[in-house]
Amino acid sequence: MTAANIVKGPSPNRPLNRLKSMYELRAYVDKMYEGGREAEDEGKPVAWCMLSIPTPILTAMGVEAVFPENYGTICASSGGAAPFLERAEAEGFPSHMCGYCRNGLGYAAEMADLNGQVPHGAPGGGMSRPTLLVGSGAVCDARYKFFQALGRYLDVPVYIIESPAAGQRESLMEGAYERTVQFLVKEYKEFVDFLEKFLGKKMDWNIIGETQTEKELDTVWWETSELRRVRPCPMNSRDFWSSMSGALYKAGDAKEMTVLYTKMYEEVKDRVDNKIAGINREEKYRLTFQGLPPWHSLSFFDKLADRGWNFVHEYSYHPHKPVDIDLSHISDPMERYVRANHQSLESVIDRDFEPEEAAIIKDEIRKQGYSSRFAAKDVRDFKCDGAFLHPMLTCRAFTAPLYLFQKQIMDVYKVPSLVLEGDIVDLTLFDPVEGLKKAEAFEETMDYYKEVRKKEGLEW
Amino acid sequence: MVNAAGTGLIRVKEIYRNREQRVKELKAEGKTIIGYLCIYPVLEMLTALDLVPYRMFGDMDETITSADDYLPTMVCPFLRSVLDLGIKGKYDFLDGVVMAHICDVGARLSHIWDVAVKTPYSHFIDVPHTDRKISRERLKELLQDFQETLEIFTGKKLTPAGLKESIELHNRQRAMVRELYDLKKPDPPLISGTETLQVMIAINSIPVEEGNNLLKEVISEVKERGDDVPKKSARLLVWGPVIDDIALIEMIESLDATVVMDDTCVGSRNFFADVPLTDDPLDGLAYRYLEELKCPRTFRESNTDGVHRGYQADLEARFGYLGDYAKEWNVNGAILQVPRYCDSHGYEVPQLKDYFEQISLPNIYLEHDYSKAALAPLKTRVQGLTEIIG
Repeated sequence: MTAANIVKGPSPNRPLNRLKSMYELRAYVDKMYEGGREAEDEGKPVAWCMLSIPTPILTAMGVEAVFPENYGTICASSGGAAPFLERAEAEGFPSHMCGYCRNGLGYAAEMADLNGQVPHGAPGGGMSRPTLLVGSGAVCDARYKFFQALGRYLDVPVYIIESPAAGQRESLMEGAYERTVQFLVKEYKEFVDFLEKFLGKKMDWNIIGETQTEKELDTVWWETSELRRVRPCPMNSRDFWSSMSGALYKAGDAKEMTVLYTKMYEEVKDRVDNKIAGINREEKYRLTFQGLPPWHSLSFFDKLADRGWNFVHEYSYHPHKPVDIDLSHISDPMERYVRANHQSLESVIDRDFEPEEAAIIKDEIRKQGYSSRFAAKDVRDFKCDGAFLHPMLTCRAFTAPLYLFQKQIMDVYKVPSLVLEGDIVDLTLFDPVEGLKKAEAFEETMDYYKEVRKKEGLEW
Repeated sequence: MVNAAGTGLIRVKEIYRNREQRVKELKAEGKTIIGYLCIYPVLEMLTALDLVPYRMFGDMDETITSADDYLPTMVCPFLRSVLDLGIKGKYDFLDGVVMAHICDVGARLSHIWDVAVKTPYSHFIDVPHTDRKISRERLKELLQDFQETLEIFTGKKLTPAGLKESIELHNRQRAMVRELYDLKKPDPPLISGTETLQVMIAINSIPVEEGNNLLKEVISEVKERGDDVPKKSARLLVWGPVIDDIALIEMIESLDATVVMDDTCVGSRNFFADVPLTDDPLDGLAYRYLEELKCPRTFRESNTDGVHRGYQADLEARFGYLGDYAKEWNVNGAILQVPRYCDSHGYEVPQLKDYFEQISLPNIYLEHDYSKAALAPLKTRVQGLTEIIG
C-alpha cells in the first residue's frame, strides 16, 4: 500500500480517526500467539518472555517468543481477563499485584488444570504452552517475580536477564556506560550459553550481529512518532497503543514488520501533509498520557476525542531515537547488538538538546540528581496542553513516579495534569462516568494555563 | 556509649522510644550521619569512613500527609511514611542518604527523595536482580562507584585495611545478633519477640560499635533471666519485609503465642550472614549483599547450567533456610505478614505457603496497611492460628 491509495479524510461517524494501516499491523502482531501455537504443534521451543529481553537471541536459536504482558492487554481489551484474574486471586496472589501478571498466573493455573492445553475460550486463541520462561529486571520487579511464581503451574526453567537501571547521577559517572555495555555483553552471552545447553544446539551468531533490519524498524517507528509533534496531531494514542507491540517486543519477522510500519509512516505523513488529525473533531487540546493505558476502557478516549482532546504523546512505550553510530568496526556481534540497543544517558542528552541546554541539564543531574527540564522535554516538544495521569492500583513501577512528573511539568512548562485512578486490566477499578466529569472540569484548567504559558513567553 | 541507664534492655527501650537522640548527639559532636533504606546499602563502607549509618524507618503513629504530594496512595505505605517524615523535616539531621534498588517503589523513592527532601549527599546503588557470578561482579563495580562518591563527599580515602576492619566490626555485630536469637530457642524463650524487635531497632539507630556494646549487655542480661517470658503454646516464625514498630509483634504475643524466630529485614534477614573476608574486601561485600541476603527482591538461579530441577527444588532453594529455622527454633506456626502493595513479597506468598504446607507448618497470611488501627481485625486471625496449633 502507498500513500496514494490510503483513504484520506475524516470519518465523521467516530470521534477518533483511526489509521487504516494500524489494522494490518495489529493483525500481524496478533499472529504472534498463532505462531506460538504452531511452533508447539511442530515441536519447536516456545518461550514466554518479558519486555526488554534480547529477542533476537531467541530468534537465532529457533525459539518462538510469546509475551504474556502483551497477552494481558489482549485479554483486558477483549473483556476476557476477569476469569483469569479471579483464578489468580483464588490461588492466593494478592489482588493488588500487577494485572498483566495476575492474568498470566490465572491463565497458567487454568492451563495446568488442562494438562497444558489452552484454556477454552481464551482471547486471541490463547498462548501456547511454553518450553521456557525468559524474564527481565526491566522497569519493574514483576517482570521476574511473575515468571518465578509461574513455576507453580509450569514445569519449565526460568531464566532472568538483568536490565540495569542506574540513577541519572550515577549514570553520568565516568566509565559507567562502558561498564554497563561490557556487563550486558557478558550477560547476554551467558544467556546464549544457557540456551545452547538447554536446547542442545549452537547459536547462529550471524543473526545476532545483523542489527540493520531492527534499526530500520526502530527508525521508521520513531519517525512516525515524531510526526505527531505537528498540529493537528495526525495519530492519536489509540493508534499508537494498537500498533506499538511489533516494535516494542520485536517478536516476528523484522523485515515484514518494517514494511507494515513503513505503510503506517506513509499514512501518517500523508495526514501531516494534508493537515488531517487523529481525531475527527477540531483539535482543542493536545495531551500526553502518563502511566499504562486502561486497556479495558479504551473507548473512554473516544469520548475525550469527541470533546476535541487529541492524545499526541505517551511517556510509556514512547520510542527513543535509534542509535545512529557506526558499529561496523566492532567485531563482536554481541557487543554490536548491545551498543545498537543501549545508549548512554550523556549521549541521549547531547542528542536531544542544544549544547548550552545539554550542559545545564547534565550539571543539574550531577549536582541534584535530577533535571526537571529533562523530564519535561517531551511535553514541550509535543506542545501538550495537559497530561492525563493514570495511577494504577496494580502497577507500582508506573504509578510511583506520576506525581513527581506532575510537579515537574508544572514547574518547568506550566502544564497541568488530570489524575484519574484505574488499572491496566481490572475493569472494576476505573470509573469512566466520573472520569468524564473530571475531564470536563479540567478543560478550564488547561485553558487557564494556556494563558499562563503565553504570559511567560512559552511557545505554545 | 556506656550503658547510662544501668541495664541493656532499659537502654534499648530508651533508644526505641527516641531513636534519633543518639545520632543527633553525635552530629552535635561533629559526626556525619548517613541515612539508609532497607538492607542493601553497604554499611561497612560508611563505617570505614567514620560516617554514622542510620536506618530510616516510617512512623505508624504519624498520619501521612506531605508524602501525598509525591507518592500516590497505592504504593507501599511504609515507604510513603518514610518520605512523609523526610518532607516534614524529621530527617533533617541527616547529612546524606544511600538507597538501593530494593523494590520498584524503593528505587523510585531514591529519586523522589532528591527532589522532595534533598540532603547534601545522595547515592543510589542499582543492585542487580540475579545472583549469578557476573551480577556479583557488576555489584562490585557499583560499589566502586559508591566508594568514589563517598570519598569525594568525605575528602577521605577508603583503604582496604580500613574496610576490612569495618567488615569485622559489622560481622561481630551479626555474630552477637545470632547469639541473641539463640536465646529464643529454649521453651519458653529467654527473650520475647517484642523485646527482640526493640533490640534490633535500637542497634539500627546507633553506630555499630555502640550497638555491639549494647548487644553484649543485653545478651548477658537475658542469659541471667529466670522466667520473664511466659511459656506459650504457639512458637511462631514471622516472615515478611520491614517491621519497624513493635505493635504487630505485641499484638501476636498478647495471645497464646511467642515470636521465637523471624525472617524480616529488621530482624534476622540482615544479620544471619557474615561478609566473607576476601583479599579485595569488595568481593566479599558483593557476595554477601547479593548472594546471602535472602530477600525476595533477588532472583535465585537454580537452572543456569541448563538443567531444570522443578518446582520442589525451586521451593527448597528459595525457602529451605526457613525450614531450618523452624527446626532449630522449634517453630510450630508461621505468619506471613506483608504491608499492602509490597509486590516482591506478595508474589512469594502462595509459593511460601506451598513450602510451609510441605513441611507441615500451619500458617496464615496477614496483609496490613502499616497502621495500628488495622491490627485489631488481624488479631482474630492470629487467634485462629494459635487455636490450630494449641
